Parts: sequence; C-alpha cells; structure tokens
Amino acid sequence: MYKVLRLFLTVLLFGIVTGCGDQRILEKLGLIQTTSYDIAPGSDEDESKQKLLISVTIPRPDSGTGTGSGGVNREFLTAIAQTSKGGRVNLSRQTELQLVSGQLRNTLFGLSLAKQGIWEHIDTLVRDPSISPKVKITVVNGNAHDLLAKNYPFHPRTGQYIDRMLEKESHSQVVPSTTLYQFTKDYFDDGIDPIAPMIKEAGDNVKIDGVALFQKDRYIMKIEPKQALIFAMMRTDIKQGDLNVDLSGQNRNNEHVTLSSLVSHRSVHVTPHNGNFRVDINIKVSGSVLEYIGVLDLENDKDRSTIEKLVSEYVQANANEMIAVMQKNRVDSLGLGKNIRSTLHYAQWHKMNWPDTYQRIEVKFHVNVRIKDYGMFTK
Amino acid sequence: MGISNDTREGAAFMTLFRRTNRLPGKDARRDDNRPNDDADVPPSLQHTLDNFKDCMDLVHHAFPEINVNLVYFGHLVGAEELSRDVTIPLTNIRENEVQALLTRNQYKLTTNSKSLIKGILNGEAAIFHNDNVYLMDVYKPEARSIQQSETETVITGPHDSFIETASANLSLIRRRVKSSHLKVIKLEVGEVTKSIVYLLYIEGIANMEYVRELTDRINLIEIDAVHDGNMLIQYIDDFPNSVFPLFSTTERTDTAVSKLVAGRIVGILDGSPSVFSAPSSFFEFMASPDDYYQRWATGTSLRVLRFIALFITLTFTALYVSVTTFHYEMIPEALLLTITESRSKVPFPPIYEALLMEVTIELLREAGARLPTKIGQTIGIVGGIVIGQAAVQAGFTSNILIIAVASSAIASFVIPSYVMSASIRLVRFGLIIMAGILGDLGIALGIAYLVVHLSGLTSLNSSYLTPVSPNNFKDWRDVFIRAPFWALRRRPSQSRSPNLVRNRMKK
Repeated sequence: MYKVLRLFLTVLLFGIVTGCGDQRILEKLGLIQTTSYDIAPGSDEDESKQKLLISVTIPRPDSGTGTGSGGVNREFLTAIAQTSKGGRVNLSRQTELQLVSGQLRNTLFGLSLAKQGIWEHIDTLVRDPSISPKVKITVVNGNAHDLLAKNYPFHPRTGQYIDRMLEKESHSQVVPSTTLYQFTKDYFDDGIDPIAPMIKEAGDNVKIDGVALFQKDRYIMKIEPKQALIFAMMRTDIKQGDLNVDLSGQNRNNEHVTLSSLVSHRSVHVTPHNGNFRVDINIKVSGSVLEYIGVLDLENDKDRSTIEKLVSEYVQANANEMIAVMQKNRVDSLGLGKNIRSTLHYAQWHKMNWPDTYQRIEVKFHVNVRIKDYGMFTK
Repeated sequence: MGISNDTREGAAFMTLFRRTNRLPGKDARRDDNRPNDDADVPPSLQHTLDNFKDCMDLVHHAFPEINVNLVYFGHLVGAEELSRDVTIPLTNIRENEVQALLTRNQYKLTTNSKSLIKGILNGEAAIFHNDNVYLMDVYKPEARSIQQSETETVITGPHDSFIETASANLSLIRRRVKSSHLKVIKLEVGEVTKSIVYLLYIEGIANMEYVRELTDRINLIEIDAVHDGNMLIQYIDDFPNSVFPLFSTTERTDTAVSKLVAGRIVGILDGSPSVFSAPSSFFEFMASPDDYYQRWATGTSLRVLRFIALFITLTFTALYVSVTTFHYEMIPEALLLTITESRSKVPFPPIYEALLMEVTIELLREAGARLPTKIGQTIGIVGGIVIGQAAVQAGFTSNILIIAVASSAIASFVIPSYVMSASIRLVRFGLIIMAGILGDLGIALGIAYLVVHLSGLTSLNSSYLTPVSPNNFKDWRDVFIRAPFWALRRRPSQSRSPNLVRNRMKK
C-alpha cells in the first residue's frame, strides 16, 4: 500500500517540479549566431590597458521593428569590456533574452586585434562546453564590429550570410575551413602555424579577402584571393577547385586558361643537407580546361602539353614566391616543421630552434599539371 | 415485509460473500454453494427440477405413456438435433421398447447428479426413464457467422477470423491442421460461468513443460467469470503489474495456426474471439502475417519500418520536449528560426504543451473507438481541424509539436497488436515527463529503465526479450527481418521445441 502511495507521490512530484532546474526554454534564449571581437576605439596604446569591443548578432524572427536584411530580423548587441566573458554580462543587460552560445557558428576578429594575438579569446571559447569545436574563426580585414553591424540588403541576415559564404567557398578551396578545433590544434602543434579565412566589407557585399596567416596566434601576413587556390594545393590535397591562369608571366601575350574540377595530390620529401634541410614538394594536379583564350590548339596533343607545361610553371612560380615570403615572415602555415620533425628524434627537434631553421631551409616545389579533358566540342 | 426481505437477502448475500472469502485455497472451489448438488446424490427428476427451480427457460417434456421425462434448455439445443435424436425416436415407440432404445450408446447413462446438471447446462437433453437418466448431446448454440477480423486486417492472405463460439474456432483450426498430433485439453474457468478453455498444442512440436505449466496456471484461477481471452491471460501471466501484455492474442486463424506449428500453445476461451498463444516474446507483437505473405524483401522492409515506428512513437514527442527545454544546441540551424518562431507564441512551457496535445490525441482516439463508425468519422474531421489548424493559429501549440504528436500517434498504430500499441503509448507519457524534467538524460534514463524492466519480464517462465536476451542470432532472421523462407529453418528458440527443424527447403 505504501509502495503504491510512494509511486503516486513520485508521479505527482514529476508533475509539480517540472519546470524547475537548469532549463533553457527555446523562445527565452538569445541564440548568439556570430560574435565579433575588436580593440575598442580610442583605447590605450598599451596592450594591457586596451578594452575589447564585443558584438553579437542574434536571429530574432519575432522582433517586428528591425529592418533586417533578407526579410529576417536580428538583434545586434555591442559592449565594451575588459574580457570577453565580462562583455557577456554587459551584453546581457541590453536584452530580455538569456544569452547562450550553443548555436554559435562564427567568430570574427578585427585585424588590429588579430595582429596582437587572439589566443586568449579562443581559449575562452574552447573552454565553454556549450560551444561547438566546429565554430568558424574568421579574420576581418578592417573592423569586425562595423562589418557585422551592417545589414546587407540583398543577402540573408548578416551572420548567416557570412557563415554560408565561408562554407561554400571552403568547399572550392578558396578559403580554408578553419574551426575552433583546427585552430587550437595548429596552435599547440609543433611545426605548424594556424591560418584563417579573411573577409572584408565591400559596399553592399562582404567579400572574401584571401587567407590570413598566423604565427602562433598573431596575424602576420595574408595570401591574396587569386593565389589562395595555389596556397591550398601547397598545403594539402584538394578535390575540387577552379584556377584562373594569366599566362603573361610566362612570356605569353593575352593567353588565359581556366581549369576546373582540379584534383591535386602533394607529397613532401625531406632530405637533411649539410646541417640544414631541403624540402621537395611534388604537386600533381589534374583538371579540365574550362576556358582557353590564345593561339594554341587544344585538340593538338603537342599544344596541349605546352599548355600543361605553362600552367605548371605558373603554379610553381607562384608557389615559390609565396613560400619565400612566408619564410621571410617566419610563418610555417604549410606545416613543413611537422614533416621535418617526423624525420628527427624528439631531442634533435627540441634542440633545434625551428622558427630560425625555417627561414634557412631550402624549399622546392615541383608542379605537374595534367589536362584530363578539354570539352565536348571538336572542330 | 419488503424491508425485512431485503435485509434477509442482503444478509444471505453477505454470508455467501464471507464464506467464499473464508474458504481456503483450491478445495473451496470444489465446494459448490448449493448443498444438494453433491456428486453422491443419485440423479432423479425431482432433484433436477429442484435444482433448476425458478429457471423458467428450462423445458420439461413428459411422455407419460412410455414413462419418460425429457429436460433440456430450449435455446441451447438445436431443434433439428433434438427432434432427430430424441423427440422422434421417443414418440414412435411403445414403453417396452424404450429401454432398448436408450441402451444404444449415443445415449449416455449418468449416475451422478452433478454431471447431470452440468450436462443440461452444456446443452444436453436429459432423458429420465424409470430410475435411470440418460444424456444426449444436442448442443447447438446461436453463433455469429465467420467474418473478417476488424482489429487485425491484412491486405493479402486469409480473411477468416475467430468468433465467440469455441467449437467453431476449434473447427477453424482443425480444418487448417489436419493432423492427429493436434491435441486439445479441455479446462474450465469461472466459478459461476464455468467457461470452457481449450488448450491446443501439437504433440512432438510443443514442449510439454509449457503445456503442463499453462494447464496448472489455468486450473489455479479462482474467479467468478472470465469474459475474454485478453482478460484470461491477465490471470495467468507472470507479471500482472507490468504494462506490457505477456501473451499475444489474435483473432486470426492463420496466426493461431502459425503459433501452433512454431511450437507454442494456443488457448481458446469459449465466448471470446481472442485466442491467446504462449509463450510470447516482445518482438512477436511487432510481426504481422502480412510479412510472410509478401516477398521477403517487402516483408523485411515492413519489419524494419515497424521498429522505426516503435522508436518514433516512444521518443519523438519526448525529444521535442527535451530539445526545446534543454538542448537548444541540437537544433539544426535551418530549423532553428522556424521552431523559435512557432514556440514564441505559445504560453506554456514545452512539457505542458506536449502533454496537452498528447492528451487531446488520446481523447480523440478513445472517442473514435467508442462511437459508431459514422460519428467516429465526424470526430476525426473535427479533431483534425481543431488540432491541426486552429490550435496552432490560436497560439496554443507550435506546429512542430503537432508534427511530432501526429507522427508518433500514427507510428503507434503501425504496431500490429492493439494491446501492445496501447501499452507503448502509455509508456510514451512517462518518457515525455522524464524529458521535461531531465532532458535527454531523462529520455536515456527512461529508456534504460524500460529495457531493464523488459529484460526482467518472463512469459511462461521464458524470457520476454528472446531472442535478444538470451541472445540467439539465428532467431534474429525471423524477428528483425523476415529472411527468405529457405533461411527460416528452425522453430523459434523460445518454444524450446523437441523438434527444431521446420523447413528442409533447398536454397
């Protein structure tokens, strides 16, 4: 009898206490979609006294007043604070919603902040268990707050617009898909430096502005968008991509080739070479010719191999140019250090001052481009 | 006078009640309430008529010229049988021929009063001649014609189903199993109603331990009346407090026969079209005869679909509650705004919103089941509009919840057994409440408790979760999928058949 009573009371309790506890009822939450970090304007020159300008964008389907782009409204909050979590408290004072970061998709860092180093902010993000390791990290060439604050009338909500654009572009290898996980891994790994996509504001649009290269967590240099695909081939194997080649650099006038459906495979060979290292990177590329403007005949086998050779030279020249700049700036974004480390004992690697050695190593790219097909049409 | 009469009757009733309560155990049952109904009393016309005093439907027919009295219940006997076997032979003879007629062995000489009365109640005609009593079976009860089952329909396959008359049901099974190995045990249940239960098994295929166990359990039932097979199984199952049915019941003849040849025991209760089979496993309730009448690939996909339906009906609404209450991180970005938007108009927390809709659906279902078909349709339409459109437009619930509730309701009807489907729907409420309190953790705990409970259940002392626990991979091919017939070589392990091989078909 008591058993039945106890059961009944338990069930009753379930009915009564429902609604207590750590609830997060959906419509009462402010789901931060994108957040941006900048150095607050008018801050001190001294880095330790600088304040952060933090902005968040929250999709709001029910707020009737905003004139959000793409027909969907959003809430945009800004706060100035000493730390990023401190900023959260400040932001929270401006909204009736409970701010949560479980739906965070993208974090934007202003260029000036990126130059000073972003690890402490990334650290806060990584520590929060509700934040997905798949959150994107993006550098804004300019002011991240301004870029995020603006509504782009021909596009969806700003946060979603940037997120989707980066998603799509990383599929075609124009920008790397840098996530919280990837950045943290590269940051702590020996012999590789993190990279991140870079965007900038361009009137009514946001534009991809190449790849930002970091040294540890400090922004050092960037790769121009037109070189971004070659940079991707230098870094990793790619399975998709388009490459537009202007052959004027190869002493050919007004000749242009566009290759599509690029598949590349890279292999790295490290040879110790009088106390130094020589790194040979072979890149095999195959693709279809989408467009060719010039004097050669695509249907001619000989002419086609000339084109293959010219494109190979173009890619190789670009690659060598980029690695030279990277070596000069001491950013090892290709992870060559990892390749060298794997040929050494840990003690040897540990003894070596990698950033200095990096500047001195000899890196050679060997590019081999093959044209798979050149269209359906025959003369 | 009236008052005193009432009091007396009430007192008598109370005495009866108390006495039945006080009498211990099995012997009490054997002790009938009527003092003059003892087995050793020699049968006589006067004694019989005393017994049936005030039973005005009893027919007493006297043939004074040949010194014969005929006693029977007119509505239990067939008019044709009666006249052919009793009335016509008796009207055309002289007194000295009566004895010769009655010694023919179709007339059964009865020597004790109790079996005489039982015989009359079972539709036999009692013939009193001198001091001897003979019984002649002329039983022919009114019966519904054999129709299609309403609760277990199939698209292809046999459409006949059991009816309320046990003899007709037995004949349906005998017609399908033409074997002398089909054995029938006749038992009696119900102190007042004396309903007959037939236990059927196939000798050499069924495990006799199960037969003995089931017989014992039925003999131990002490109850005034059992009205239906689904009621009977609750008196004999291993765990009366579990929400799950532990023996499967069916109205379909082909299903009953398939259980028989699988080595299970089938029980028919007179007066009920629900025939039960034992032992049963949880997964048996997920199978439909359709699975075997279609090609194996189709049968397999239907099985898989049913398990998906089971999962949906258990967890979909609970998942909605837990996601909107606790785990906003789980919502895909594309769905986020839609859900937030429709939720933002709802005044209740998700748990109450979900319970409200689930209760409404159950109300509709129950109303539809109780009403005649024509009104039931109206209820369906009204309910559909109220729930589907108006509730959302009025900001009463969110439309995602409507989808969740509706699809779990539909999924619950995919489960072929109505009894099981009702149990699962009840369990779902528990999961929804758990989801409202603890979120996904609550759902996980709820399902864990469910699995623990299920694995503890037994059906006729065999595990309810066979063939998952104890595991038997060979059986899985007839549980989670419906393998081609050449692969179904053995009878289910649960029936512990002495003759396991059922199929020698070559691949």
